[in-house]
Amino acid sequence: MKLRFFVLTAFVSTAAYSQDQLISGPGSTLTENKCKICHELQHIRRSPLSRGEWADNLRNMKARGTPMSEAEMAVILDYLAAYYNREKPAPAPSPDTLVSANPMQQLLERHACSGCHALDRRVVGPSFKEIAARYGSDAKAVAALIKKVRDGSRGTWGPVPMPPNSGVSEADARTLAGWILQQR
Amino acid sequence: MHESRRQFLSTAAGLAALAALGKARGQEAPAGTMPNDSVKAGKVSAMQWHSERPLTGSVPAYEHDFDVTPTDRMFVRNNLLTPTIDPTKHRISIKGLVDKELEFSLEDFKANFAPLTMQGMLECAGSGRSNYKPAASGTPWLATGGMGCPTWTGARLRDVLNICGLKPGAVHVAGHGGDPGAIDTAAPVIRSIPLTKAMEARTLVAWEMNGKPLPTVHGFPLRLVVPGWVGSASTKWLHTIYVLDAPFKGPYMDLSYRMPRVPVQPGEKMPEDTVIAEAWPIKSMITSPRPEARFRVGEQILITGRAWIGEGEIDHVEVSADEGRSWFSARLFGRADKYAWRKFTFPYLADNPGKQSFIARAWDTRGNAQPQVPVWNPLGYFWNGWHRVEVVVEA
Repeated sequence: MKLRFFVLTAFVSTAAYSQDQLISGPGSTLTENKCKICHELQHIRRSPLSRGEWADNLRNMKARGTPMSEAEMAVILDYLAAYYNREKPAPAPSPDTLVSANPMQQLLERHACSGCHALDRRVVGPSFKEIAARYGSDAKAVAALIKKVRDGSRGTWGPVPMPPNSGVSEADARTLAGWILQQR
Repeated sequence: MHESRRQFLSTAAGLAALAALGKARGQEAPAGTMPNDSVKAGKVSAMQWHSERPLTGSVPAYEHDFDVTPTDRMFVRNNLLTPTIDPTKHRISIKGLVDKELEFSLEDFKANFAPLTMQGMLECAGSGRSNYKPAASGTPWLATGGMGCPTWTGARLRDVLNICGLKPGAVHVAGHGGDPGAIDTAAPVIRSIPLTKAMEARTLVAWEMNGKPLPTVHGFPLRLVVPGWVGSASTKWLHTIYVLDAPFKGPYMDLSYRMPRVPVQPGEKMPEDTVIAEAWPIKSMITSPRPEARFRVGEQILITGRAWIGEGEIDHVEVSADEGRSWFSARLFGRADKYAWRKFTFPYLADNPGKQSFIARAWDTRGNAQPQVPVWNPLGYFWNGWHRVEVVVEA
């Protein structure tokens, strides 16, 4: 009974998630993660643009505050100009080869952690190494980090708070916390 | 001196926004913001929601058959999230090129300035965007909607500026809104307008819409109302007014709300030479009958609509019943206020069974008419093409 409930929940949440996705292809995961911080992906799907217009659009979104590096912008531009181009049909969906084969990296991208955190440098929030150095790796630290991932946190690393991520399951949060605390 | 002053202002604003906007990215509304469902509860069920993030909605033309737009039909267009602001703690500051920088509580602000109540048009720059072919970048506003003409009550911005005293060199006035971002790096929502428009007698710092305190989504407790101009000039959740020596520099000035001075082909990059979107050009729409309405041969169909222009005067409105081959002059009603839309009517005798179309076209006193299809622009602004409604006449 319990198992059935779990399966049903997983199905529902996957269905809701899949409603707002881009065509799978090289760079689609990064593009989704950066764009859906602020807006729905239908704004991309509904109006394919030229490569030049996408470049203008990305420059605008960067100025509006999207945390993305020049290298990330280049990946996103290549992706959008290939899959949402007004002037030529989109290629067939293919696996996002730019997503790491590493399951942990996939988890970080799926939950958009990598939008704000990197392994050893500051993006918006602290690096994973800084976090690991501060919290240690005992069970108490894991519990504290799970709570911060899911409920958000403020005041630990400066004025910018960490938003709650209630969409991250307890199990995923535990996996993430355990991995982060090993990054020393 | 002026240059560094302006840079200081831009930077200060950016830092303040960064520090103030502690908001989240979860699916529920973050603390200090109103959930979309609560916003929607204040709107008619006929409102069509074009986007959840950012929240955008409007009613179709046939739901706009009102001289004064009811609050529950006024369009919604956010750049970021919808903040819930405690009116007892809210402050409005006037800074920059003024003799005295002032700050008011909401209560003091309302008590200090003689209120003006007026009717005024607001319309999103991208209203009608989905008519452009090929599709332009931006919020998918429907063919009609994205505009409204309610009444506003507030202080004249010029009274507020005059009490502070303008310094020489003041040429632009910016409104800074309290729009909360999904992340803290979100740029502050700041838009400036030329001083001449800021000093216009009908540019308001408003606290009421249709005789009631502003609804949360429409800018409670204070907003700018710059009637006739693109909606982005009418900063919601206004907390700071900056008097500047040049247009404000920021994404909502330099990268959005821009049109090429010389038209470009779809697919070209935005050229260097652009102009910022300000007053709306001449526009009209048919608000009754609704599409697919049914009539009988011999019945009179009263075509009713609204016409408006951002700056200037409407001269006349025409209606065509033959796809634009011939035009009848409609009856144009008087204007309730300088920036209010005007009603027009034209009675048409249904003579032939079958589909029957009507098209409206307004002219201004400078001889400009609405084009059948306006010139394409990369961000899809200022759609003012002919509005067409098709009904059914039964034998």
